[in-house]
Amino acid sequence: MAVLELSGLTKRFGAFTALDDISLQIERGEVHCLLGENGAGKSTLCNLVFGVHRPDAGTMTLGGEPFHPRGPAEALQRGVVMVHQHFSLVPNMSVAENLMLGRASAVLKPQDIIVRMEQLAAEYGLEIDPEARIEDLSVGERQRVEIIKCLLGDPQLLVLDEPTAVLQPDEIDALLAICRQVALRGKSVILVTHKLGEISRVADRTTVLRQGRIIETVAMEGADIRSLVRSMVGRDVQSAGSVLAAAVDIEGKTPAKPSGAAGPVSPGEAVLEISDLVYRDPHGVPRLDGLSLTVGTGEIVGIAGVEGNGQTELGLILAGLAAPSAGAIVVGGAQVGGCTPQEITDAGVGIVPEDRHAVACIKELSVAENLYLGAIGKFSRFGLLDKSARRKAAEAMMRDFDVRASSPDVSMASLSGGNQQKAVLARELSLDPLVFLLAAQPTRGLDVGAIEAVYNRIRAARDDGLGVLLISSELEELMAVSDRIAVIYRGKLVGELAAGSFSREAIGAMMSGHAHV
Amino acid sequence: MIDEQMAVFIGSGLRLAVPIIFAATGEMLSERAGVLNLSLDGMMLMSAFTAALASWATGSPLIGVAAGVLVATAVAALQAVLSVTLRANQLVVGIGFNILALGSTTFLYREIFGPLSRDPIPGFAQLNLPWLAHIPVIGPALANQTGLAYVSILMVVVTWLILKYTSFGLAVRAVGEDPRAADKAGISVAKTRYLGVLYAGILAGLGGAFMSVADSNTFTENMTKGAGYLAITAVIFGGWNPWYTLAACLLFGFATALQFLVPALQLDVPVALLLLLPYLLALVAIAGFVGKSRQPSALTIPFERGG
Repeated sequence: MAVLELSGLTKRFGAFTALDDISLQIERGEVHCLLGENGAGKSTLCNLVFGVHRPDAGTMTLGGEPFHPRGPAEALQRGVVMVHQHFSLVPNMSVAENLMLGRASAVLKPQDIIVRMEQLAAEYGLEIDPEARIEDLSVGERQRVEIIKCLLGDPQLLVLDEPTAVLQPDEIDALLAICRQVALRGKSVILVTHKLGEISRVADRTTVLRQGRIIETVAMEGADIRSLVRSMVGRDVQSAGSVLAAAVDIEGKTPAKPSGAAGPVSPGEAVLEISDLVYRDPHGVPRLDGLSLTVGTGEIVGIAGVEGNGQTELGLILAGLAAPSAGAIVVGGAQVGGCTPQEITDAGVGIVPEDRHAVACIKELSVAENLYLGAIGKFSRFGLLDKSARRKAAEAMMRDFDVRASSPDVSMASLSGGNQQKAVLARELSLDPLVFLLAAQPTRGLDVGAIEAVYNRIRAARDDGLGVLLISSELEELMAVSDRIAVIYRGKLVGELAAGSFSREAIGAMMSGHAHV
Repeated sequence: MIDEQMAVFIGSGLRLAVPIIFAATGEMLSERAGVLNLSLDGMMLMSAFTAALASWATGSPLIGVAAGVLVATAVAALQAVLSVTLRANQLVVGIGFNILALGSTTFLYREIFGPLSRDPIPGFAQLNLPWLAHIPVIGPALANQTGLAYVSILMVVVTWLILKYTSFGLAVRAVGEDPRAADKAGISVAKTRYLGVLYAGILAGLGGAFMSVADSNTFTENMTKGAGYLAITAVIFGGWNPWYTLAACLLFGFATALQFLVPALQLDVPVALLLLLPYLLALVAIAGFVGKSRQPSALTIPFERGG
């Protein structure tokens, strides 16, 4: 019997159709996976079900009754709960306070919540200290709080939007087990993901979305993973290269070494030398704790780690956006620790920052302006800006790096994420001198095609003798691109693996601090 | 002799702190919900004027207070519409209201009271609670206050209880810290913020009315003299905590009262400097404390539901 039935759902944002004529049934007690690339409409679909957005056309029924939530409050009342990609927890409040939010009687009764938490801990193995402050919890623990929050009201339908993206491998296992437990108790689960490995482990049925449309819904018993991949990307698996090779790596095998391996794999002289780097944040919390690392010429070194273990701070320090508390950073013989971004650029360091929108580009300015943001003087004649020369240079660069925009004069904001990132790469890789590239989360939020382009650029830069440091939260990405993977845990490197010996299990164990190699 | 002067100093310090305590306590709750009411001073001034007018017309200071609170609440409602529903810049809206309040009360005062400005306005009597009066030194100062002064302390307790022990208080804190999270927990951000602003309006109304019908029994042009701004400063100084905010208000009250104590002690300090003292103190407090205590993350940021 269907708990939730969607028919003909359509949602548009301006001229963009995010969802187009979606019809779908979610059965009682099933784990139903939504599979699709970034921008396929998975999150939008969840947001419609949860009342965050309202559909432009189509109808929904819940338990046979019409269901058109005007807001999350109404969805919650009807027994639909959702764990969002970005957690909805108030950071400076305790776990119990967050759980009481929005469902308590007029006077708060913390004791009732604590009793209920003990019940859920017994039923699902969801244990957490009710007094702990959210900001002191790890990402995995915060997610557990989110799930407890959802289960408190004994819901009919639990929606999880990309819940595993932020988790380390053993936490993913625990989460998938919880999903099965929830389904066993007669509730339904919608699980959004783009990771096929998870789907085959937990789903009863899977619906594949592409460009806002449903491509197919299949029962997972005896389903062919490769055909799901084809449905997801809309072309053959081979053509998408290592991204999909990694994506279909459901057994946890090391993917084949990418074609770029033909380039120089034995690193040359050191181009980046970090020794005993220490960083304390403005609150005095140590984020980097004696990190040492060397990157040679013609080498891609990947940094793996669960988010929040210091990799973001490492990226900021290398970019000159934070000053190290202690330790040395040497690029090509020059000391750059604590230097300004300009000095670091002059030393030959290209930066693809983690936060593209906040740091890498100015969205309101044109593509040409962004491409030459750090080199305005280059097109200056007698103090005046020679725009036509800049335009010409920008056009050439856009051609070289396949940045697709109608003209160099359109605003950066009008480009897709992939093209924005290609523009950032184009700018950074065109720096002169250039000896080292930092790429922090370079494919975050990009689609498969753009991801492949970014990988190819990074590999080509490596083959040209550049030293590259790749910081990423995607294990598949690191294994597909890196020549060497170092694992960061609590501000220190705890282990290193060379290409050919990559294994998800070993890296995962190091990421969670369980093993040292 | 010295004892007597101390009693007068403490008494007037408390009396001068009362309107700030009212306004700051309400403002603290509103800011915890994420809305800054820079219009606090305007609300107080309008309430002071309306209270004086209604008390004068009816002969009942209680009706005066009710009328003052009503007007201040109406201003607060308008502030809420602009800053919550229409997402206008809260600072600009507040400044606009303050200018409007000063202009309109000055105009109406001259039109209505002009020839009658010496008429006494019916006000509240002091309670003279005997059991308080027996406390040494501060006893007489505590006992010789109007009922409203005690209400101001009561409101601090009530506000503290609301924030700590009620689900509305929890919602207020959540909405001021992370409105998106609160929204997804099923809380109406707009409703919570409206209630927060109205609460600030009611308390600012009580503070303003206190000035005209409980403290001085008269209305003068711009009689708040920036008390609303001092209240906003007290909230920052007090780190958005009800008790520290109360302490900051008392500090401002006593700093203002020094202008009575210092000449009485025949110390040679210019009175103009003493008049300046509370504002100087506020400036130092802001410079020293802003940034050190953590303000509600979503303060002054309008909420818009997004993906």
